[in-house]
Amino acid sequence: MMENNNLNIEAVENEAIAEAAEEEVTHEQTLKLMSPMQMVIRRFFRSKLSIIGLVMVVSLFLFCWVGPLFYQVSPTEIDKDGKTEYTTKWVEYEDENGNIQGFYQVIETQLTDNMLSEPSGKHPLGTDKTGKDVLARLMNGGKISLTISFMAVFIVTFLGIIFGGLAGYFGGVVDNVIMRICDILMCLPGFPILLIVGTIIDGLREGGMAMFDYQYKIYWLMGFLTLISWSGTARLVRGQILSLREQEYMVAAEAMGYSTGRKIFKHLVPNVMPQLIVSMTLSLGSMILYEASLSYLGLGAPEQYAAWGTMINAAKDPDILSNYFNVWGPPGICIIIAVLGFNFVGDGLRDALDPKMRR
Amino acid sequence: MLKYILKRLALSVLILLGVSLIIYVLIRCMPVDFVTQKLSSITTTGAETSQELIDAMMRTYGLDTNIFEGYISWLGKLLRLDFGESFKYGIPVIDVIKDHMGVSFAVAAIATVFEFLIAIPLGITAATHQYSARDYIVTVLVMIGISLPSFFFGQLLKNIFAIQLEWFPASGLIDASKDLSGFSLLLDQMWHLFIPILTVVILSIGGRMRMTRTNMLEVLNSDYIRTARAKGLKEKVVIYKHAFRNTMIPLVTSLAGLLPGLFSGAIITEQVFGLPGIGNKAFEAMLVADIPFIMGYNMFLALLSVIGVLLADLMYAVVDPRVKLE
Repeated sequence: MMENNNLNIEAVENEAIAEAAEEEVTHEQTLKLMSPMQMVIRRFFRSKLSIIGLVMVVSLFLFCWVGPLFYQVSPTEIDKDGKTEYTTKWVEYEDENGNIQGFYQVIETQLTDNMLSEPSGKHPLGTDKTGKDVLARLMNGGKISLTISFMAVFIVTFLGIIFGGLAGYFGGVVDNVIMRICDILMCLPGFPILLIVGTIIDGLREGGMAMFDYQYKIYWLMGFLTLISWSGTARLVRGQILSLREQEYMVAAEAMGYSTGRKIFKHLVPNVMPQLIVSMTLSLGSMILYEASLSYLGLGAPEQYAAWGTMINAAKDPDILSNYFNVWGPPGICIIIAVLGFNFVGDGLRDALDPKMRR
Repeated sequence: MLKYILKRLALSVLILLGVSLIIYVLIRCMPVDFVTQKLSSITTTGAETSQELIDAMMRTYGLDTNIFEGYISWLGKLLRLDFGESFKYGIPVIDVIKDHMGVSFAVAAIATVFEFLIAIPLGITAATHQYSARDYIVTVLVMIGISLPSFFFGQLLKNIFAIQLEWFPASGLIDASKDLSGFSLLLDQMWHLFIPILTVVILSIGGRMRMTRTNMLEVLNSDYIRTARAKGLKEKVVIYKHAFRNTMIPLVTSLAGLLPGLFSGAIITEQVFGLPGIGNKAFEAMLVADIPFIMGYNMFLALLSVIGVLLADLMYAVVDPRVKLE
């Protein structure tokens, strides 16, 4: 009896151990270990808006880079198919009885270029006023706009990290000089300066320098824009580094005898990256807008290498503005999709990267 | 406090010097100068030009000096508060700015008032109903507003309301076919400015609304709001009396940052609607290298932004007693 009891107890104990073991297994199954990066990604995809934004951005990229593989129409070729235009006119004359009679006279004009044609099977978005296919130009323009804004944002961030990092880490005179330069840059009015620089570039081109050729003008302009707009990023980096450099791990880095460059760019800057990524994504949108506005003012890429802003420029012609939405509408919609997409992604990233926003 | 202001003012002078030097050097690097342009328009009419004439004109416009001398003489005039005479418009720069500022200021000021009136309530409802359908709808709508290129949206509105529906005039400020004066003239001008103002307001609501929402959320999560709710105060009182006051701090200080924007004129909006504002005039002057006007206009803007930043910092200390200026 005693033995039996003992056995029973043992059995119960065994069962309990087995149960505990089982529980451990299930815990391992349900509890997934996540790295901080995975948590950020998970939080990012939890928000519907950031998914929508990502879809918008990705589909625009596919449209501009993969689209031309399927829609092989040259953006610079003029459609020489010709076009027949009919204009009607009311003509009045006096018949032999003295009554005023009238009829419609139809005048047929043959044009060599297929200009401003309606959307059709051949030209899904019609043609512009020189007879070039709008859809093909839209894809090509998107390539230019997106490439320029990405390059501009990367350069701005790079300059911002360098100057902000130096100012924040060294403090004192270095900080003072860099921050005063920032102050000056912040007071420079953007558009007027770029207008002036635009004419300077024109002059250099007329001086015979091929690198300032018409089609590269917008790249030079945006390049100059980056030179005067890194101050915001630099301030962000500096502010973060000022608070980070007082923390214990920096004392440890000091004690390890690391070089200054390693301390700044390997230990301080990575901690600023979350904020930087957010500000980069958000400024992608504003760069696209900036580029488009410059093109609209006639400073951007010329007609044949049109970016989106240049295409909207066509609406300065009142006839096109009121009658041919298919010429100036699509590039505007593309710009909106791009900027909105980047803004949504940026907002989603901010919420995902900010530990305080956890819910 | 006084010491702080004085120090900041001294720094501002330094900043303005830097800004003026950069702009002056850039303008003098422009390949077109005013005299060459003017002479080329004379020669197209068939008249002869001689080297003496060119030299004389260069001298009158002060373009016979090199960049450095030119800058010093410009600066010397400025110290006597003389901005010079605009090449293109032929009258003192100050007068050109004064004449065309009105329209730009009216558009910007009215738009700013509406921007605040619409954006703040939207921001508050979005924050108090965080993650609800209302929050999402408001956020998406204002984000679309931020993402619109001003020229595209302006043209779209102009096309719909002025050209298709013919409710509003398409461009300009004055109806040449009517002879109006006094109050009816003012009313007519407001009528012309309706779509430009609408454009500016819709484009700018987004930023302000998101700012309000973020600040409101931050305040609503703070301890004293929990205390207020625990005391059993009504939700309305908690939000509008306790939370909103602290949300106001960054909003009020951001007012000072608006200063340059109020007077600068919107180059693109004015272009789209053909308004005779300061932005449009500056754009035209820029194309013909009208040095005194470009310098005067840009320095005016730079001065306003320096003052704006200083005012924002000072207002921070006034509105929020926790902030101490050093």
